[in-house]
This record gives sequence, C-alpha cells and structure tokens, in this order.
Amino acid sequence: MKGNKRDKIYLFMILPAFIGFTGLFIVPTVMSFFYSLTNWSVYSQEIHFIGLRNYQKLFSDNKTIAPILHSIKYAVLITVIQNVCAVVLAVLLNKKSKAANFVKSITFLPAVLSIMVVGYLFQYIMTSADGGLLNSIIMFFGGKPVNWLGDSKIALYSVLITQVWQWTGWSMVIYIANLKSIDSSLYEAANIDGAGPVQLFFRITLPLLHPAASFNILMSLIGGMKMFDAVFVMTKGGPGYATETIMTTMIREGFNSGRNAYACAFAVVFFILVFTFSRVITWFLDKWEEAIQG
Amino acid sequence: MKKKILAGIMAAALAAASLAGCGAKGSTDTAAKAETTPQKAEETEEKAEEKKEAKSEEQVTLRLMAYNAETTRATYLKYLEDKFPNIKIEFEFVSQDNFDNILNTQLQAGEGPDIIEVGGQTKLLANAGYLLDLTDQSFISSYADAGLQPYMVDSKIYATPLQSWYEGIFYNKKIFKDNGLEVPKTWEEFIDLHKKLEEKGIKAQTMGAQSYEPMMKQSIALVNNMFYSTEESKGFDEKFNDGEGKLEEAWLPAVTEWYKIIEAGCLTPDMLGLSYDQALDEFATEKAAMWECGPWAVETLKEKNPDLDFGMFPIPGPDADKPGWLVGGPGSAFAVNAKSEHVQEALQILEATATAEAQQALVKDNAGSSFVIGVEVDLGDLYTDCDEAFKAGHVYAPWTAVWTNGNAVTEGYGKSLQEVLAGTKTVQEALADADAINDDLREALGN
Repeated sequence: MKGNKRDKIYLFMILPAFIGFTGLFIVPTVMSFFYSLTNWSVYSQEIHFIGLRNYQKLFSDNKTIAPILHSIKYAVLITVIQNVCAVVLAVLLNKKSKAANFVKSITFLPAVLSIMVVGYLFQYIMTSADGGLLNSIIMFFGGKPVNWLGDSKIALYSVLITQVWQWTGWSMVIYIANLKSIDSSLYEAANIDGAGPVQLFFRITLPLLHPAASFNILMSLIGGMKMFDAVFVMTKGGPGYATETIMTTMIREGFNSGRNAYACAFAVVFFILVFTFSRVITWFLDKWEEAIQG
Repeated sequence: MKKKILAGIMAAALAAASLAGCGAKGSTDTAAKAETTPQKAEETEEKAEEKKEAKSEEQVTLRLMAYNAETTRATYLKYLEDKFPNIKIEFEFVSQDNFDNILNTQLQAGEGPDIIEVGGQTKLLANAGYLLDLTDQSFISSYADAGLQPYMVDSKIYATPLQSWYEGIFYNKKIFKDNGLEVPKTWEEFIDLHKKLEEKGIKAQTMGAQSYEPMMKQSIALVNNMFYSTEESKGFDEKFNDGEGKLEEAWLPAVTEWYKIIEAGCLTPDMLGLSYDQALDEFATEKAAMWECGPWAVETLKEKNPDLDFGMFPIPGPDADKPGWLVGGPGSAFAVNAKSEHVQEALQILEATATAEAQQALVKDNAGSSFVIGVEVDLGDLYTDCDEAFKAGHVYAPWTAVWTNGNAVTEGYGKSLQEVLAGTKTVQEALADADAINDDLREALGN
C-alpha cells in the first residue's frame, strides 16, 4: 500500500518531463512520419496523401544516398579518432603538475569556441589561396600545396580534422574525470605483481574507463551523424556534393526547395539510422561491460 | 539497461532537434490560412489604419528580410529613416544560401518579415498566398512594365523592383595597361587573355568557386550570348517551366563553348577551395587581374584597396561584332507579407521607394538602372565598357525572369558544374542534372 503511494508520487514527479518529452519529441516525430507520406510543401496550398513516394524518391536519388554514406563514414571515423586521441591524452595528462594542467586547458580550449567561428577560421587556414596558412607551412618545408577544402577526395576529411581538433579536449576531460575515480590501490597491486605500463593500461585503465567511453562514443557517434554546421561554414556541401551530409541535404533538398514532406521523410530515415546505430553501439558496449565483469 | 535508456534518450533528443523544423505548424492550417489571406489582409489594413489614427506618434517597427547586405542599401535606409520618423526598419540580412530556408520557415509559422526582398522565389510565394497583391496600388504605375514582368502571376503584381542587377567581369585597369592588354571582344580573346597574363606570371582570373554561383552565372552568360540572343529561344523559358524545354538540348552548345575556359586551364580545381570573400580579397589586393562579380561588391573592393583602378566588361560571346552579355535583370524586388500586422506602413515604404529620390539613394550604394519611369541613372566610369551591352539590352538571367523553380535549379546546376571543374562530370551531365531537378520540383510542387 505504502509502496503504491510512493510509486504514484514518483510518477507525478516525472510528469513535467514526460509532458515536455511528449509535446516536443513524440508528437512531432509521429507528425513528421505522417507528413512524410503527404506532398506537404510551403509553396503549395493543397495537401494530400501520396503514400511512400517520398521514400522511393529518396532512395533512388544519388544526391541523397551519397550524403547518407558520407554521414555514416564521418560519424564512424570521428568516433574512433576522437576517442582514441582523447584516451591517450587523458592518460598522459592525468597528473598533478602545472604543466599538465596547462596542456589540459589548451586542449580543452577549442571546445569553448563556436563551431561557426572554428569553421570560418579553418576556411582561411585551409584555403587554396596564396596566403593559406596550412599550405604556406607545407610549402616552407618544400611540399606541394594541397586543396584541402576544394578537392572532392579529401574535403570531407579536412572538415573532420577540424572537428577532431575542436572536440578531442572535451572528450578528454570526461575521460580524466573517470580516471580520477579509479582506485589507485589497483595500480599498486598490479605493480607489485610486476605489470608494466602497457599492461596497466590495457588491464586496468581501459576496462575501468567503460562509463566514460560509453558516453563519449555515443556522443561522438550521434554528433557525427548530425554534422551540419562545420560543413555548412567550410564547404557548403561542396565541391559538388562531396561533403553533403544528411543534415545539409535535408535542409537543401527539403526546406530550401520548399518540399517539407520530403524533408520529413529524410528526418524519419535519419531517426531510424541514428536509432539503429545507437542500439548496435550499446549492444557492443554491453558486451564489453559483461566481459569486464566476467 | 541504463545504457539502453541513455541511448534511447540521446537518439530521441537528437531526432527531436532535427524534426523541430518540420512539425510545428499543421499544413492544413497553412492551406486554410492561405485561402483567407485577402480578407485577412483587408482586416489588418483597417486595423492598421485605426491604430495609426489613434496613436500616430507611436513608432512602428517593420522587419525587412533581405539577401543583399545592409551596406548595399545604406543611403536608402537613411533616406527612409529621415522620411518616416515613426517607422523603424529592422534590416535582417540572410545570405542567399540560406534565405529560402529561413524565410519559408518563418512564413509557415506565421512570423514572416513585413517586407521581403524577393527574386527567383516570387512566383512560388505568390502562388502559395504569402504575398500581398500590389496590382491596385497607386505606385505601381510609376514602374516600367519590364521591371514588373518577373513579379507577375496571372496578371497580378506581387513585388516592385529595386534597381537592376548585373554581373560581368571586373578587371584591373592598371594590370591591363601595364601589359598592353585590351578588353576582349570574343570568348576566344577572353581565353587568350588568360594565357597572356599567366605567361607573365600574373593570375588572370580568380573565382570563389566554393560557392555554386560564379560558374553557374558565367556559363549562363555564354548561353545569353549564343542562345537567348537567337530567335529559337523565344518561349523556351516558358516551355522549361512546363517541362517541355530541356536545358540539356537547348543550352548544350553554349555551355560546351564556355567549357573551353576549363579545358584551357583558366579555371582550375583549386578555385573550388576559394570562397567569395577570398576571391574578392585576391582581386582587391591585385593578386588577380579579373574577377566576375557585380556592383554590390564595389564598396567593399574600394574599402579594401582605395587605389584599385578597375572597370567591368560584359562576358563576350563567339561573335566580335555583337556586344557581350551580362547576367542580370530587373533586380531583386520588395514584396509585402500578406499576413503582416503593419501592411499600411509597409505599403508606405514601397510607395516612397517608387520616388526618384529613393531610387537615386538605392543606386548610390549598388549601381544599376532604375525601373521607375523618368529616373535617369548615371552608372559612372566603372561601367563604360558595358555601355554597348546595356544599350543593346544584353542583360538577362532566365531563372529570375521566367523560371518558376529558378533558385533550386540554378543551385543544382552550379553544384554539378563544380563537379565538371573537378573533372568528375561532363557539361551534358550537369545540364541533365538541372533538368532532373526541375522535373522533380514540378512534380513535388505541382507547378
């Protein structure tokens, strides 16, 4: 009886969040799905049901398939690179010295800046114009200038590098917080048993970083999938369609051209993709956790 | 379990953010609103009038959304400020890349600006009932028909043109003089000019090809020279709107001719890594001898390099006897949001814009001819080389003049030309892409 009453209080307490979540997420998602089955457009006064035609169009157009693949490639790469760099930095900088603190601050600093600012700066740093900083450095050492943002083969990676630069410090801070919680007696015991630094890292540090890793991996994966701003500032999706991502395409093909229903279909596909990816990753993370505990 | 919830919440939060743009307003709602627009506009007009009488001293704020920067309208805005002390104009600049997206979202949410700078999207917006019908306004008669034509739907007028816009090739007069070069009369000469400059170690033409616009416009200038100047082009743009005319057939010879500039190595793939601002810098700092752009860049160029001695010439075609062409037309125009709460004040602004004084103020910061009858504009020495082209009426941009889906088609076409420059597509494929986009939109938007 008592427990029942407590349950009711708990339910009552989550009510505000539940209402917000329903109104701001569940309802729009369901509505988007329905809109994606119509011909809704900002430029048209009539709206009617057209079945799955928007989806057919979406999956038969190379202008939309390529961006989906770009987003997936981008998300996977940024997740791996950013997290590997962040773990290495966290382990190296997890020391109580002024120098380490200074380097930590420097590494974290880019995360404070707006993506637009970073994108705009890198547009100048990576430009193919004569005064481009990066190319000037390369040419100083006798190399050939590279068309960082204008070569369709490397433009996506150029954008990726700037984002790794910006967000690695942020992931690093989370890993460091996690490292602080690892009991030092474990390291002492391992040292007594004769474990070397590599063994310490792989046997103790890495498994116990699981909570930070699962958070960071999911965040960078989802952040990568929804990549929009850096691409928009640095390459505008170009050259051609070489750096178009799901989000930039959704904005251009959907909203810019006034085809709202088509944009909704895109959003639904995007939701399913992100949901699937997150589930796959959490499955792997669960397996990892089981392995650690086992 | 916790992680599953975490993953769920994250996916949810993300999707919510991405969907927020689509879900907010019902579409049936939009349709209903559009139908009641005329009555509503009348109501708001009446209300505005009542309000005005009651509180004539009260200041009204009008939102003006535009894709030309505030600096290109500075004198004009100052003129309005002096003329209407009770109206405060909030100038909202949104770059062309994002203009339709932001405007459409605001209009759909019923929160659009009071005055909208429109171009290629006018017909679509008017069809959807977002724009106030200006046909019966007294100031309409001040404008020449040629200026109003692009803003007419079913013989109703939805916007009034600002000064004409045009784009040609800016050239550095000093570099030309020092190297004994003259303004080219043919496309061949234009390409040769590049070679002569490059031989002397001077970068001939710079281009911010990171944007889809410059190549799109330059190639259309050749289409103007070779196609729109001929009889066979009569009625083509209307056919294109109906899906009968195809760019892949009609434009191919002209765009193939344009492609020679890429074959000759005058436009290079590294220009794909240059932005508009960076190209402007290269021309302003005399690192490059030529740059394709229009009068809106002049103030910035002069600011960056007050000593720059430059002029503009039209883009030449194959025939030396005929003057070249500029890409352009009746400039952008001002339309009034049908659902604006300040329709009366917005109309006052449009009325004031139709005066000679306002037109001269507009031209001061962004040179172009005026469409207000009786207003003579002196464009200045900068455009002397374009005189013949202007006299022959060699200024055209099909996508703003006639096309219904102009903005989306030219963007797709320009992006495909980037792939042409990168060497991954042919000119024919780029034109086919543009046709496909037009067909897609005609089907999706039912126009």
